[in-house]
Amino acid sequence: MLRKGMVMAVAFVLVAGVAYAAGPPEVEFPDPDETITMVVPFGAGGGTDLIFRELVDEMNNYTEAEIIVDNIGGAGSATGTNEVLGLPADGYTILASGAHTVTATLQGLTEGYRELEGIIGLNWDPFIVAVHRDAPWETFDELLADAQDDPEALTFGNAGMGGATGVLTVGMNLHFDEVFNVTPFDGGADLIANFLGQHVDIGVFSQTEVAEHMDEMTPLMIVHPERSTIPELQDVQTYQELGYEDLEVPFGSYRSISVRAGTPQEHKEALADIATQAFESDRFQNYMQEQGLLPEYSRLEELDAYFEELEELFYPILEAADLLDN
Amino acid sequence: MTEFLSGVALIGDPVTILWIMFGVCFGIVLGAIPGLTATMGIALMLPLAIQLETATGMAMLLSVYSGAIIGASVPAILLGIPGNPNAIATIYDGYPLTQQGRSAEALIGATVGSFVGGIGSLILLALFAPLIARFTLRFGPAERAALALVGLTIIASISGRRLAKGILMGAFGLALAFLGPDRITQTMRLPLPSVTMGTPLANGIQLVPALIGLFGISQALYDISRVKSGTFTPPQVSFRGSIPKPRIFVRMWRMMVESLGIGTFIGAIPGAGASIAVFLSYQRAQRRRAPAVEGGEAPQLGSGALEGVVAPEVANNACKGGALIPALSLGIPGDAATAVLLGALLIQGVVPGPTLFIDELPLVYAILGSLLLANVFMVIFQLAGISVFPKVLTTPVPILLPLILVFSLLGSYAVEGRAIMAASFNMGVALVLGIIGYFLKKNDYPIAPIVLGLILGDMLEQNFRRAMRLARGDYTVFLRSPIALAFLVLAVVSVAYALWSSRRHSDDSDTTHGEADD
Repeated sequence: MLRKGMVMAVAFVLVAGVAYAAGPPEVEFPDPDETITMVVPFGAGGGTDLIFRELVDEMNNYTEAEIIVDNIGGAGSATGTNEVLGLPADGYTILASGAHTVTATLQGLTEGYRELEGIIGLNWDPFIVAVHRDAPWETFDELLADAQDDPEALTFGNAGMGGATGVLTVGMNLHFDEVFNVTPFDGGADLIANFLGQHVDIGVFSQTEVAEHMDEMTPLMIVHPERSTIPELQDVQTYQELGYEDLEVPFGSYRSISVRAGTPQEHKEALADIATQAFESDRFQNYMQEQGLLPEYSRLEELDAYFEELEELFYPILEAADLLDN
Repeated sequence: MTEFLSGVALIGDPVTILWIMFGVCFGIVLGAIPGLTATMGIALMLPLAIQLETATGMAMLLSVYSGAIIGASVPAILLGIPGNPNAIATIYDGYPLTQQGRSAEALIGATVGSFVGGIGSLILLALFAPLIARFTLRFGPAERAALALVGLTIIASISGRRLAKGILMGAFGLALAFLGPDRITQTMRLPLPSVTMGTPLANGIQLVPALIGLFGISQALYDISRVKSGTFTPPQVSFRGSIPKPRIFVRMWRMMVESLGIGTFIGAIPGAGASIAVFLSYQRAQRRRAPAVEGGEAPQLGSGALEGVVAPEVANNACKGGALIPALSLGIPGDAATAVLLGALLIQGVVPGPTLFIDELPLVYAILGSLLLANVFMVIFQLAGISVFPKVLTTPVPILLPLILVFSLLGSYAVEGRAIMAASFNMGVALVLGIIGYFLKKNDYPIAPIVLGLILGDMLEQNFRRAMRLARGDYTVFLRSPIALAFLVLAVVSVAYALWSSRRHSDDSDTTHGEADD
């Protein structure tokens, strides 16, 4: 009786072992019954959120699984990024990453891109340097001349030191021997309110913000080698056209999609295929054109390499602004 | 006229009206759950709204906004827990009224106040939006810092005789506000940075979990201890003679007008927030209390006076119309909820700003019309709920108190939506502050100054330092701005008045002073 029992037990262990070794049946990724969550690490309704919502809407046309947007804002973009890093690396949670991920990582608020892997790179949203319509400057050269005459008398506002506009203003100020008084405000809306109220002399804005307030702003420079695709802004000269070719600063906001490191390669490829189809769709290309977003496509390892380039660009600026994680 | 009719047509169809009704209902329920805010409700409904016609979608979102604000007053009055930060000041007299068995009276007061605030600010929005928006642009960092200072002086008036304790608690609130990143340099201000850096504490203490902890959890713990010691008297639920006569509200007209002005104006200053408006209007109501009704001594504010519910509710709802002023006329959101509303408009291809009143006039009329309808439905649903809401108080205490604790913890968790780490952290914050609040309550320390410190600390510090940076360290910037100077004078007068008033009351030992009962 005992022997019979032992044989049965051994047989069970063997069968179970073989079954375990074979693993669960392969499920196609993404499972049509599952939901893929795109974590946007900023509040709903903001510039970054609107771009990713447009993309996700289009991505849903290329997969049977449902893709949704979840806004998890806070601490720059670190709160949302940390949430993604705390969830399984299975490809069902993806992050709206970008230049903000690089700054948050360098500031030590998150492990960020060191624990992320790229899916696709999307675009740059180049910033515009502007002054109030009632201000005396018509060109950037005039503005710079006045700033050099009385260093730190002219105030240069950004939407927050840790964000993309903060990095840009600090970088520009470094380049121009710190002649500006760089002052951070509490987000883009706060900067615009203070700018329109003329509490700050110079501001750095997204193109859509400038287009909305064209009658009260004089745009002086677009921080990108190419001019804007937005009709009202096509006369704004690039920093290269204005003779500042050696200005090495991030152009503005860069946006991409990433997943947690360790996500299976085939899942990453499937996500990259879906996102690429949405990116290349007429609808998204037209949307980018309308919003002045300049395409900067990269895929998987190319995006990882691009993040390394961004780190090299951002590091000295954040170091100068004393924003690095010590 | 054609534009007006086109605007009416945009929202006049039965489907839109049904969406408005749904939005108000959803908003009231959402607002009544501690921790769930108007901003969260609008963000939740955003994907649905963008599938609808622009005017219908906006009408629905505005209805959620309106509903959530009045909904927050329900737990404030019935349980002493503000549903969201806008309802903080409503608890001072709302909760004592409930404890006296006059919850229906308080709920009606809140509804009337909300309606007056909502409609009044709507009228101001329709008539003077561009003008007010232009004026609020004069509020730069120096003016906002001075306004925050005026707000902090409210600590003196809501602390009553416990002035020293109130100041101490205000300082505790300020200390909490300073945790997290320095907003100017982004340098971290954290205890044990090597441990706390990658945690949600790096983002500082969030207001909503702090509120839930300090008001909800601490109150439940306090009540449990009173049940244990046999000193707890459950609130009475009685409706007899509890419908206030209309003339009582008519007598409050001056106070309502003041609160409407305060709410609309503060709401229109981007970043100032409703919390400061409700406290300022409460403070004004304290000083301009309606005369005693039907002879006899009218109750002091803080001990169950109807004015103490009406004033902050007028201001609270007026902030809503106020916040829409810069949003629609300049494209700058007045608060977090209107930021999401602006996002919804942008998704639909409508660019808010000065041209909105020219290019999209029918849509502007549709927005104003839907706000009007939302306010009307808000009154209808709220009045219908008045006989239902207080039934929560008939729940036996051994069930009610643990339920409050559970909902408080859930509410603090829900603030961050699906962000598990941040949500768990918020629950921890609520629990720790709840326990601190319990001991403070037991030792007769006022709680509200902590919240004021937490809210205004950030506003004061950021704007003060920004003003100094813009002025290259020149302190006279606060004296050169007429608005900032006026606020500084007001702050000094406010503190002097509170000190004088406090001394007068302590001299007269027979007079019982109406301390704010936290």
